Amino acid sequence: MTLNLSVLTPNRIVWDSEVEEIVLSTNSGQIGILPNHAPIATTVDIGILQIRLNNQWLTMALMGGFARIGNNEITVLVNDAEKGSDIDPQEAQQTLEIAEANVKKAEERRQKIEANLALRRARTRVEAINPIS
Amino acid sequence: MAMAALRREGRRFATPLLSPNPANALRSSLVPYEEPVLSGVRCISTQVVRNRMKSVKNIQKITKAMKMVAASKLRAIQTRAENSRGLWQPFTALLGDTPSVDVKKNVIITISSDKGLCGGINSTSVKISRALHKLNSGPEKENKYVVLGEKAKAQLVRDSKKDIELIMTELQKNPLNYTQVSVIADDILKNVEFDALRIVYNKFQSVVSFLPTVSTILSPEVVEREAESGGKLGELDLYEVEGAETKGEVLQNLAEFQFSCVMFNAVLENATSEQGARMSAMDSSSRNAGDMLDRLTLTYNRTRQASITTELIEIISGASALEG
Repeated sequence: MTLNLSVLTPNRIVWDSEVEEIVLSTNSGQIGILPNHAPIATTVDIGILQIRLNNQWLTMALMGGFARIGNNEITVLVNDAEKGSDIDPQEAQQTLEIAEANVKKAEERRQKIEANLALRRARTRVEAINPIS
Repeated sequence: MAMAALRREGRRFATPLLSPNPANALRSSLVPYEEPVLSGVRCISTQVVRNRMKSVKNIQKITKAMKMVAASKLRAIQTRAENSRGLWQPFTALLGDTPSVDVKKNVIITISSDKGLCGGINSTSVKISRALHKLNSGPEKENKYVVLGEKAKAQLVRDSKKDIELIMTELQKNPLNYTQVSVIADDILKNVEFDALRIVYNKFQSVVSFLPTVSTILSPEVVEREAESGGKLGELDLYEVEGAETKGEVLQNLAEFQFSCVMFNAVLENATSEQGARMSAMDSSSRNAGDMLDRLTLTYNRTRQASITTELIEIISGASALEG
């Protein structure tokens, strides 16, 4: 049995091929998906997506959205997605530092929420480069 | 030899003026009055035709340039529209597209362009919106419009101003992107109460064909109700819902995300159709200008030739009168 994964963003298709296993971060924690999984519809948090392919783990940074699993088809719809290998480590590190500084500076409620979201996005990108395996 | 032929010609032209039948006699009484005007008119008319030709030529240049601009814009936006198509299909698979759903509060989102000169795409989307409005009207039902784009605004403000809830224009001032569209979608969700959103836009099929399309988005409550009653969305119940405290919460998120994605696709499709329609409209108008120019050139040359011939006749008949 094969498992098909497609990761879609509004601007492009990031991934569309067979995989062996994925680990997806949802709002209620990480879930692993193997072939013949029960049908599920879930929200996807800002976090990393791990993909097992030929016994190697790949990572991808997802920026929140939805996933639908059923019939051995996984469709992940997200606001934005980047493959770990496509992210520039230096740039990601810098963005993380800026985001951390912004969180400290933020005063209003709205600003705080936005800064925290930006921080989570930046952290996810850095994590996607150096996956904790 | 040639002179003789011309002289004969001149005589042939001259005879009707002297012919004795009554109809011509009447006209000949007007001749002294008409003659100076006629020659004057001939002069002016070539001038007028020349001016007309010049303006037609200029218009043709403009339409040609607009066609080129539309063609280059079309190519860029077409790939983006095609890429965005993949995004709404999974939603349709999960939540379905149910244009026939019967709900109380309908909101019709009409998408149009800001600029004109692009064929009939704006009036088709307005027409479809009006038809939807009529179709869904009834006792205890509410229909509202949300208008995107200058052109649909101009048409809808005229007869259904009281039904318009929100107007947004100048969408395409900077290139369309997802962030911008999701902000607009957020605005609509915040300001408008709805049970079903119906997005009306022109789906791009090819450079010459655009399908007026309606995409329906249901509010989370309606989705839940339909799924539980096992109606059109019964399939959704097969899925286990994860990721939040309640199913309603997930559905709320899902509906919002679906709306912004479908909106994004609709806006891009409409923009692509606009460029395509403008391209073919400008193409046909440059061709039309070419035809017009041909006709005018013909008229102009003919008039010029006629005036030359008349002048020659005048000279020759004058000379022959002296001779004779």
